[in-house]
Amino acid sequence: MLLRILKNSFLKRPKSVFLVFLSIAMGASVATAFLGIAGEISHKMALELRSYGANILLEPSAVEGGGFLREEDLPKIKTVFWKYNITGFAPYLYGVADFAAGGRKERGVVSGTWFTKQLEVPGEDISIQGIKGIAPWWDVSGNWPDGPDEAIIGAALAKRLGVNTGSDVETSVRGRNQRFRVVGVVTTGGFEEEQLFAPLVTVQTLLLKPGKVSRVQVSALTVPMDDFGKKDPAKMTKDEYEKWYCTAYVTSVAKNVEEVMAGSRAKPIWQIASAEGSLLKKLNSVMLLLTVLALVASATAVSTSLMASMAERSPEIALMKAIGADRFQISAIFVGETLIISVAGGIIGYLLGDQLAQIISRTVFNSAIVSPLWLFPTAIISALVVAIAGSVTPLRRALLIEPVTVLKG
Amino acid sequence: MSENIIETSGLTRNYGDICALKPLELKVPEGEWLSVMGHSGSGKSTFMNLVGGLDRPSAGSLKVGGEDLLALTEDGLARFRRKFVGIIFQQHHMVPYLTAVENVMLAQYFHSVPDEAEARSALERVGLGHRLKNRPGELSGGEQQRVCIARAIINSPKLLLGDEPTGNLDHKSTVMIMELLKELRAEERFTVIMVTHNQEVAAWGDRTIYLDDGVLVREERMGEKQ
Ligand SMILES: Nc1ncnc2c1ncn2[C@@H]1O[C@H](COP(=O)(O)OP(=O)(O)OP(=O)(O)O)[C@@H](O)[C@H]1O
Ligand SMILES: [Mg+2]
Repeated sequence: MLLRILKNSFLKRPKSVFLVFLSIAMGASVATAFLGIAGEISHKMALELRSYGANILLEPSAVEGGGFLREEDLPKIKTVFWKYNITGFAPYLYGVADFAAGGRKERGVVSGTWFTKQLEVPGEDISIQGIKGIAPWWDVSGNWPDGPDEAIIGAALAKRLGVNTGSDVETSVRGRNQRFRVVGVVTTGGFEEEQLFAPLVTVQTLLLKPGKVSRVQVSALTVPMDDFGKKDPAKMTKDEYEKWYCTAYVTSVAKNVEEVMAGSRAKPIWQIASAEGSLLKKLNSVMLLLTVLALVASATAVSTSLMASMAERSPEIALMKAIGADRFQISAIFVGETLIISVAGGIIGYLLGDQLAQIISRTVFNSAIVSPLWLFPTAIISALVVAIAGSVTPLRRALLIEPVTVLKG
Repeated sequence: MSENIIETSGLTRNYGDICALKPLELKVPEGEWLSVMGHSGSGKSTFMNLVGGLDRPSAGSLKVGGEDLLALTEDGLARFRRKFVGIIFQQHHMVPYLTAVENVMLAQYFHSVPDEAEARSALERVGLGHRLKNRPGELSGGEQQRVCIARAIINSPKLLLGDEPTGNLDHKSTVMIMELLKELRAEERFTVIMVTHNQEVAAWGDRTIYLDDGVLVREERMGEKQ
């Protein structure tokens, strides 16, 4: 009988039913879309943010200037526990040098590094490592070095020496000379503009430091620091340490890398790590806030249209009460109606929201997303929450209807 | 039929300053057909609603079928209404989106379980066997009122209340309704309380009480009816 009442009530009042349905579907679709892309956005944003520089710096642990890292350890970075979070790294070997070109002489820093090095590690996919990967904001006019005696020169140093792409720069370190062909001039906006960048092997030979590296910059995807992440790992219990180690905090990834690089100390570059962390956190809370607002808005809309239809139906409610319906029976009819509408609204809202998420992802990030499995139940639940929140006041109003006052005659 | 189905003592209903029903002493024996008359605003509907458990008295005591209505909760009154009372209004109220038979089944549903066959035979009894699937909008006033009668008697109430059930009907339909009620009462043996402005309608009852300004001013016992 309840179903019969509901069916007829739907068929005979399509407009008000549709209004409620629409409000619920809208709320559910916005919630679905936002929640669907929230995870994706965090991930994509993290990737984009990663292009603004390395967030872990590996240095020799010996404090005195003499310490070096070993180049042969570098491939191990691709084998650590957090290897999939490490998006790239680049080693550097620095030395002070005298540069000469076209009669001018200047003192500066020569820096040996990897530009786009193809790295083969047994058991891992081949990857390209080097500056080009971790410093995409480097603006190189010309080309990246290819041969062992090709170099790129910082814009400031190039200006002082009066050199340009195609010029040769004579580089001497304690009597040893190396001629580099400048294939590109780099603008970075930072101290790098005072340096000459050349292939690591060549600089190692020039500085008489074969197989040595001064420091390594590592770029890794990390999660924002929280209170637990800030705890001192040395003071953690075994379980806590395990949890800390298995969470991609910048500190635990740094620790992870440090373990495979002999004689190294890894330092998170805090400025970057914490700026990224708080940005992502803010982004997530904005998304959550928008979702909640959308749900509140649609609950309000549901409430308004239910209120209107309650007013219209008060004779009917009064009549039901007069012929003996108690509060539970009245509630069953109206809650039943709202539940059916909200499940339908949830399903449609899910389908729409999923499409919306796809469109947003395509226009903003240029990629398709796979909607997670939990999204469907989430859509249904948010539709139900909207429906329940929206029907509290109208239902209360309905239960307060006095048959005598309405049926007067 | 010596038992009283309704006993009131000092029954009063105030709406703020307005005293719609002054302390009323009344006993209605089981099976009686009581007509209630009085000019407009004299408190007839007020009295009816109190007896039917649709409204609560301001003071006094009210026993219907041995049940003390003042002691019942809101849901308790709802249960009392569906078990004990059948109500017919002047505006033949029906749920607009349900058919005749569904409107009758609605009362069964609130009472216990709907039984379509029983609802159908109730409509046949009031002469509407051919209009089972029609909605209120497709029925005449007299037909709607007959649906309401079928709905009122479907749960075999002890008490049938009518608040000017024929107020909107012409003479012919009125007589038809009254005859129907008389027939049904003969079978079902319920007590009838009928509010009316019409002397002729009142004459169908065993006794008529007259209200004036909330006070019972006069009562009249009818002779045998034709
Ligand atoms: N809800 C209410 N609030 C305030 N006053 C009311 C209310 N209901 C009824 N009254 C007043 O109580 C008095 C009795 O009303 P009641 O409806 O019982 O009259 P009635 O005899 O049924 O009249 P009618 O023949 O016009 O239906 C009237 O003066 C009316 O104005
Ligand atoms: Mg009245």
